[in-house]
Amino acid sequence: MIRRDARVGVLFALPWIFGFLIFLAYPLIASLLTSFTSFSVLRPPTFIGLQNYNELFHDQVFYQSLTNTLLYVLGAVPLTAIVAIGLALLLNTKVKGMSIYRTLFFLPTLVPMVALGTLFLWVFNGDYGLFKQAFLKVGVTPPGWLTDPTWSKWTLILISMWGCGQAMVIYLAGLQDVPVSLYEAAELDGAKSWAKTMHVTLPMISPVILFNVVMSIIGSLQIFAVPYVMFPGGAPARSAYFYTSYLYDNAFQYQRMGYASAMGWVLFLITLALTLIALKLSEKHVHYESN
Amino acid sequence: MKATTNPAGSHRRDKKLQHVFAHIALVSLSVLFVIPLLWMVSTSLKPIGETLTNPPRWIPSHILFNNYPDAISYGSKELGYIPLLVYARNTIIITILAVGGAVLSNSIVAYSFARIKWPGRDLFFGVTLATMMIPFPVLMVPTFALFKWLGWVGTFKPLWVPAFFASAFSIFLLRQFYRTIPMELSEAAKIDGCSEFRIFTDIIAPLSRPALMVVALFTFMGSWNDFLGPLIYLVDQNTFTLSLGLQAYQSQHGGTPFNLLMAASCLVILPVVIVFFLAQKVFIQGIATSGLK
Amino acid sequence: MTAREVVGLSAAALVMVLASIAGDRAVTREGRPDKVTVTYWEKWTGDEAKEMRKVVDAFNASQDKIFVQYLSISGVDTKTMLATAGGNPPDVAGIWLEQIAQFSDAKALTDLTEMARGNGLNSDYYIKGYWDPLNYRGKLWALPSTPASIALHVRPDLVPADVATPETFPQTIEGLDKLVDRISKKKPGGDLEMAGFLPSNPGWWNWSWGMYFGGKLFDGENLTLDSPENIRAYKWISSYAKRFGAKEVQSFQSGFGTFASPQDPFMQGKVATEINGVWKGSYIRVYKPGLKWFAVPFPYPEDRPDLKGHSHLSQDVLTIPRGSKHPKEAFEFIRFVQRQDVMEGLCKGHGKNSPLQKVSEAFFTTNQNKFIRLFDGLARSPRAFNPPQIGILVQLRSEMDVAFQEVSTEKKTPEQALHDAQQRVTTLWTTYKHQVLNR
Repeated sequence: MIRRDARVGVLFALPWIFGFLIFLAYPLIASLLTSFTSFSVLRPPTFIGLQNYNELFHDQVFYQSLTNTLLYVLGAVPLTAIVAIGLALLLNTKVKGMSIYRTLFFLPTLVPMVALGTLFLWVFNGDYGLFKQAFLKVGVTPPGWLTDPTWSKWTLILISMWGCGQAMVIYLAGLQDVPVSLYEAAELDGAKSWAKTMHVTLPMISPVILFNVVMSIIGSLQIFAVPYVMFPGGAPARSAYFYTSYLYDNAFQYQRMGYASAMGWVLFLITLALTLIALKLSEKHVHYESN
Repeated sequence: MKATTNPAGSHRRDKKLQHVFAHIALVSLSVLFVIPLLWMVSTSLKPIGETLTNPPRWIPSHILFNNYPDAISYGSKELGYIPLLVYARNTIIITILAVGGAVLSNSIVAYSFARIKWPGRDLFFGVTLATMMIPFPVLMVPTFALFKWLGWVGTFKPLWVPAFFASAFSIFLLRQFYRTIPMELSEAAKIDGCSEFRIFTDIIAPLSRPALMVVALFTFMGSWNDFLGPLIYLVDQNTFTLSLGLQAYQSQHGGTPFNLLMAASCLVILPVVIVFFLAQKVFIQGIATSGLK
Repeated sequence: MTAREVVGLSAAALVMVLASIAGDRAVTREGRPDKVTVTYWEKWTGDEAKEMRKVVDAFNASQDKIFVQYLSISGVDTKTMLATAGGNPPDVAGIWLEQIAQFSDAKALTDLTEMARGNGLNSDYYIKGYWDPLNYRGKLWALPSTPASIALHVRPDLVPADVATPETFPQTIEGLDKLVDRISKKKPGGDLEMAGFLPSNPGWWNWSWGMYFGGKLFDGENLTLDSPENIRAYKWISSYAKRFGAKEVQSFQSGFGTFASPQDPFMQGKVATEINGVWKGSYIRVYKPGLKWFAVPFPYPEDRPDLKGHSHLSQDVLTIPRGSKHPKEAFEFIRFVQRQDVMEGLCKGHGKNSPLQKVSEAFFTTNQNKFIRLFDGLARSPRAFNPPQIGILVQLRSEMDVAFQEVSTEKKTPEQALHDAQQRVTTLWTTYKHQVLNR
């Protein structure tokens, strides 16, 4: 009985077993091996040991792109989560027209990257943009969203917050799973809305928050498409030059596949580290339902 | 505990205030969120001279519905075909294959993880979860080399074949869902002599429509809007997808007809919006029952 | 499963199979069974592509053994490199002159020396400024498709009458700066209304300003990003940030329309002068016909009269990637493009000058660009300069661009910015020499 089960089980799982080996395990290991070589695509790779890593640790552009990425993650992840949770909470009050609001908030995530980038090039435009007009109406001089190195990352963070629809939908689903009985119990204890939110809602969806935050960290570390369109070359002054941008340039513009692979592995290790930190920090705060 | 004079009454007032506050917040926030999209539509109907005005105009002096056919046929004279339609065809082909492959492969793989016992299963599932931490850039170069070796660079295959091999996120989603279906159903069928495969097709699959819909939708959106994949793997302009093809509106030296680009973008978004709007309820239901917890 | 479900699934499976077949059909390239198909990857879209397609069609019609297939490829340089590595390159690749060193070092190109020599395509046939950079390490790697030279375009209606002709316009950079101070206008709030000149406009050559001051990036052996001339150039750039205000320039420039439209800043009068290529005249003719303008060589530093009449030259080039299946036929096509009448037609269609020594009178007299002789003369001048031939030119340009931005946004001093750039590229160059050139 068990043996037959085992065979069927593995059979059903075969697509993933192959997928895992071909598209994950193999590239991961190959990438590690390539990172120890100098590989300019046209010639066979030559083994150079740790030279790529050594060069990486002395590479100013590496540090700049990494710093930019970490700063972006630091800003985008919490802010996007707050907006997503806030919107989900609002939508959860079961107001009329909820499905319309839901669609509206979700729409931004459906916009393709190039359109998004170009659209926001105009929204943030220094002379003609909507933002400038809105700021001027309030009497404040807007910063150079696209042209000032200190502001370019904030522009991208704002765009990330605008695109929180996907996370919002997941939070909404999570909220709908919170048993009403818990709310009633809290109300009997005299809890007002704010307290209910803090002591019932958030703890109950804390696994969902954790999941979304971890996925958000992993995703934000890899930001590429929007800066590629809005800030080519990472301009101004490489303030919007991110880790994946530099990796992509090394691989496809400078023909340095070995170097790019080394960068890829460093990113992997950083992602692992940040994820483990997030998981560790969350242990005290995340409340799991016993299944 | 604070004593309140009229707990029931203040509770009702509380709820009313809540609703009013929520309404105000929702209206203002949704306006904020939608403004860039409205701007997109407004710009798509403007004559080129009015796309860049100071202060910006919302209503064009004359509404150029013609921008839409113009956007569709943009570049067709030079190329001998209508780019936007060709990009749409390409995107549809790739998306159909990716969605089909994803639904097929993930459903049976997740089933295996959720409802069949086999040695090493749980360990392998843990590893599967861990793979979600692998950033795409680290895989980019060898995966590209692999496809190059297969001779698939320049074709659509790198963009849909991997979908037939399942993905960690969808496996995770579907497995959670399958576990909510009582094992008794399977056991009863087994006693009746059903094979695992028939249990899957006759009992489980029909029940999993919402969850499969979620996988289909996520895959659809991912494939329709994918930018990096087409950027790396597609070569000839007539093989471009919509998300990549939009870049072609920005000519090499920077001459961009923004009104046409916005019109094209609106057209590109439209199918996804329609699909989402229609499938919303099932989508949310699917996520809820999959219990991302 | 119910019968309906089986039917549904079968239909879905059929749709998918059809889709994959359609997908395969969509990506195969048409070929002619009776002719040799030469695939030609080119960067151009739009009107520029149209002109080259005419040439391709003419070639195809002129003989019946070879069929050239023109394909617009975005990122043509990267894709060509990768296709060559994959053993399946196009037969002709239209890349940029600046990439010859990189591609040649990577052994990605076919040596054209013999084929060219046998066809009379040599240093006598071409203008020296265009011929020299096609050669690298003693071999010929490419031939031109279209060349360009660059000059300063001026709007006489926006400058005072005493300098409103090519003869009276300031010839030195110091003179230009003084004029800019004279004529630039600001709005009451401090925003720019009209700038006499902006080094960052149009922005394609931000990295090359050092060369206008006699500075080089590479002397053949060592990198010289922070040479005194380059620093002087960047000091000049930062003087514009100070003159107008860094933020004001950024804000002003972000509102510029695209150059292929009436909202182009020069056409709109937001700048009175603009450094641009020979093709500028064509765009003005299309988008603002009747606009009065003239062109002069870009000014030179007062104390460097040896630079007078200089110009930055560039070219779009045709190459045969290594591993091309039909190099001889590919060269047949390239040779066709080099024919004087064909080349002149193509260049005229692109609004550019010709790279050939011999130019027909008709090319000049029927050319709609009134200043075509100026651009031609600039190209022939011994003072014309080309970008350095070095495999890491892409990275060099990147670093100079970044340094330009750092200086324009006043984040770093010119010395600091160039010194940092120099440090970075020195490491890169050492690694490149070691890993790619085995030196």
